[in-house]
Amino acid sequence: MKNRTSLTYKDHFHIPHGELQKILNIALSRGGDFSEVFLEYKTYNLINMEEDIIKETAESISLGLGVRVLSGEKTGYGYTNDLSFEKIKKAALTAASIASDRTIRNASPLSSTPIHHNFYPVKRPIHKEKLERKITLVKKAYLSAQNFNPKIKKVKASFIDQIQHILIVNSEGLVASDVRPLVKLVCVAIGEKEGKREAGFSGGGGRIGMEYFVDLLTPEEIGREAAMEALNLLDAVEPPAGEMPVVLSPGHSGVLVHEAVGHLLEADFNRKKTSIFWDKMGKKVAASQVTIFDDPTIPYFRGSYNIDDEGTAPKKTLLIEKGTMTGMLQDRLSAKLMDKELTGHGRRQDYASIPIPRMSNTYIDKGEYTPEEIIKSVKRGFYASKYQGGQVEDSGKFTFSVSSGFLIEEGKITAPVKQATLIGTNIGVLKSIEMVGSDLEFGLQTGTCGKEGQEIPVADGCPTVKISRMTVGGLK
Amino acid sequence: MRDKEKSKKLRELAESLVAFAKAKGADEAEISILDGYEFGVDVRMGDIENLVQAGSRLFSSRVIKDKKTAFSSSSDLSRETLQKLLENSINRASLANPDEFSGLPPLLRKKIDISALELFDPEIPELDSKRKIALAKETEKIALEDKRISNSHGASFGTKEIKTLFANSNGFLQEYVQTSCSLSLGIQAGGTDSKVEDYWFSAKTHFKDLETPEQIAKKAIERTVRQLNPRKIKTQMVPVIFEPMMTSWLLGFLFACVSGVSIYQKTSFLTNKLGERIANERITVYDDGLIPTALGTRPFDAEGVPCQKTQVIDKGILKNYLCNTYAARKLKLRSTGNSSGVGVSPNNFYLEPGETSPKKILTSLEKGLILIRTIGHGLNPVTGDISRGAFGLWVEKGEIAYPVSEITISGNLGEILKKIDIVGNDLDFRSPVSGPTIKVQEMTVAGK
Repeated sequence: MKNRTSLTYKDHFHIPHGELQKILNIALSRGGDFSEVFLEYKTYNLINMEEDIIKETAESISLGLGVRVLSGEKTGYGYTNDLSFEKIKKAALTAASIASDRTIRNASPLSSTPIHHNFYPVKRPIHKEKLERKITLVKKAYLSAQNFNPKIKKVKASFIDQIQHILIVNSEGLVASDVRPLVKLVCVAIGEKEGKREAGFSGGGGRIGMEYFVDLLTPEEIGREAAMEALNLLDAVEPPAGEMPVVLSPGHSGVLVHEAVGHLLEADFNRKKTSIFWDKMGKKVAASQVTIFDDPTIPYFRGSYNIDDEGTAPKKTLLIEKGTMTGMLQDRLSAKLMDKELTGHGRRQDYASIPIPRMSNTYIDKGEYTPEEIIKSVKRGFYASKYQGGQVEDSGKFTFSVSSGFLIEEGKITAPVKQATLIGTNIGVLKSIEMVGSDLEFGLQTGTCGKEGQEIPVADGCPTVKISRMTVGGLK
Repeated sequence: MRDKEKSKKLRELAESLVAFAKAKGADEAEISILDGYEFGVDVRMGDIENLVQAGSRLFSSRVIKDKKTAFSSSSDLSRETLQKLLENSINRASLANPDEFSGLPPLLRKKIDISALELFDPEIPELDSKRKIALAKETEKIALEDKRISNSHGASFGTKEIKTLFANSNGFLQEYVQTSCSLSLGIQAGGTDSKVEDYWFSAKTHFKDLETPEQIAKKAIERTVRQLNPRKIKTQMVPVIFEPMMTSWLLGFLFACVSGVSIYQKTSFLTNKLGERIANERITVYDDGLIPTALGTRPFDAEGVPCQKTQVIDKGILKNYLCNTYAARKLKLRSTGNSSGVGVSPNNFYLEPGETSPKKILTSLEKGLILIRTIGHGLNPVTGDISRGAFGLWVEKGEIAYPVSEITISGNLGEILKKIDIVGNDLDFRSPVSGPTIKVQEMTVAGK
């Protein structure tokens, strides 16, 4: 990093507009509808604490550029991490090879349109903080978990921060750039009791500054929460098995919305008709209490961005309104082929990846019941509180691994339960949502979503939700 | 010729960076440089969807000063950037704590015969783009001609050539080139509200070993249509047959539990079990980095330790944990050549096959489930607990009766290893972690 005070793309990419314009034209030299250059410079820092010592630190630099050409439904893509004009030209020619048209068009002249919003208005940028201060955060989280209870036998804490500079130019004349911070502090605590071991996890972060760890979530709270989960699990009983009413905890259960609904409303799966939702626009797909948004504009959130990875300003997108499917998440290619408006959901892992429709911050909007009313309504059921992850198929079948939950007996939350699995089909579950709580919360700001091998940061949320029946997998 | 010059340049770069780190105060330093080329084509509904070609490089380093460690990596290979990163690393190391177990592996003067491993197929760099695209198109076409197939996720063909160069301050300097190619297909069957889907693939280091479009398509079709019209079943305890892909999945979990890192961290239920019986006598598991042409083969691991064949389980007895140098020092063991850089990774990790054919395993089953796919997470190495969403085929009187969905299987790896009562003869090394068909006496299958 040569110049920390003025972090514009020019400091990192050293490529004048005129040259980028040339590359866009080379990319269109065999025809095609659209060409684009995506430049990325990302630095990443990691601190690991384990066995009471700061065990290692790491620093990574990722610098590179991807050239994309769209020709009808086809995409040509070349990338390079050598930013010499010759190598960029080669990447452009690779991308160009997808097209073979008689008429060749030229790229429009480039003109910057400044953006007037900033969804990460941080006060103390983390990439400018000294390593020592980040180490202090890790130590605080670590010690807080370790000292919480003598049954905590082992702790791991990590701090990861990165800053990503991107510049996008395309043949429509667009020039757009963004500088995105991303931070997380995570802690794993392992408890032991009578030879039994269980792990608890917690963390926090987002596109935030150092002030977050003072004002919003302290490292001590993160450590404590990881320890508490481990202790809870030590007393946990085996999960029940079979069909039963399931209550989803607020916040963490957002992963269910993400997996069971969000993915299948990504436009590419609907354009290709592989998603179960492809013919359901305007139709009832969920109980009428259910309203679902994807919103990339929530300040400081992990899934937020000022522009998407195609340079489009993002929009809060209504996916399901009172049970009816109303929207999808679009990228340029799908929006064009489906003749729809852009929503600003074209995202990519890095310069070596083709952008595809992705979620940002996805959530079920709040409903009318108090969480107490919801739990009280269940005679015997399962309360899912935290998850290890989830997965969905285009056919709508999904599973969630519940790392910790509780039994509900006679309208009350009782014994802690470990390692259960929820399974179902998305429309089946959406239609059996019986009650939606008024307590909308978001899960830990540590989540990553994988699709077609590309990992991107996301967030999700929901209020307390009751599903009338769902299959719970367990041992009993 | 140009390749040789490029190779020489990268070697010189690596060596000079090791010397640079030493000169700047590092006690030990290691540098690796990957130089790769990839080609990938995705075809869907008969037409190209994505075509990607690119060359890319990655530098990684570890420096140790006063027993304190720092890592760095970069895709920018300019000498200026890399020297800066190394200087930063040395400065950062001073903020870490000393760790007596840190450090590079000693230089083993063991001759590594890289050519015997047959990792490079000269045919792959020469493959014509048109032929590569045609292979993907052909695979999808065969599937789409089948009337039962209603939609396609597409077929993909890809190749990679990756040069790995590794140098450290103990005098290690080696490089090798590995090729790979793969062909895959994902398809759906059934109407919008009764969709089922599956995929099939082949991946090899040598092009001539790759399965044909016909083999891939036929297998993908079979795997997909057999799931049509699934039923729900009641929650019960039944014998479960794992298809090879499912055995591989189970072995992936076993690997995580015998990894030296999870052992010294005490996050595995197999901690302190060396020499003890952890499975029945039918179970023998190896990690072998030296099987010629296999996908997980490599001459040396990510810290320059020569790869080897390690017996992990011998007829049910836990023989070895799989370690990098750090985990080995912590556990007073020796590195098994399984370093992945910061952690450990499998080479070719497999369950030794038995004698029974998969067909015979099926006919011997009076009532039970064939596990064909799992989805989701739900593996806990601390306890060995497993809980996953699953798809299967219900078996009655030795025959497949109907497919089942919306089930979960639960169990515990420690118990499953003792309850495997048949090991099949169909090990095919389809992926670096692989196993044959197995039958488990009893597992909980949760349904309605």
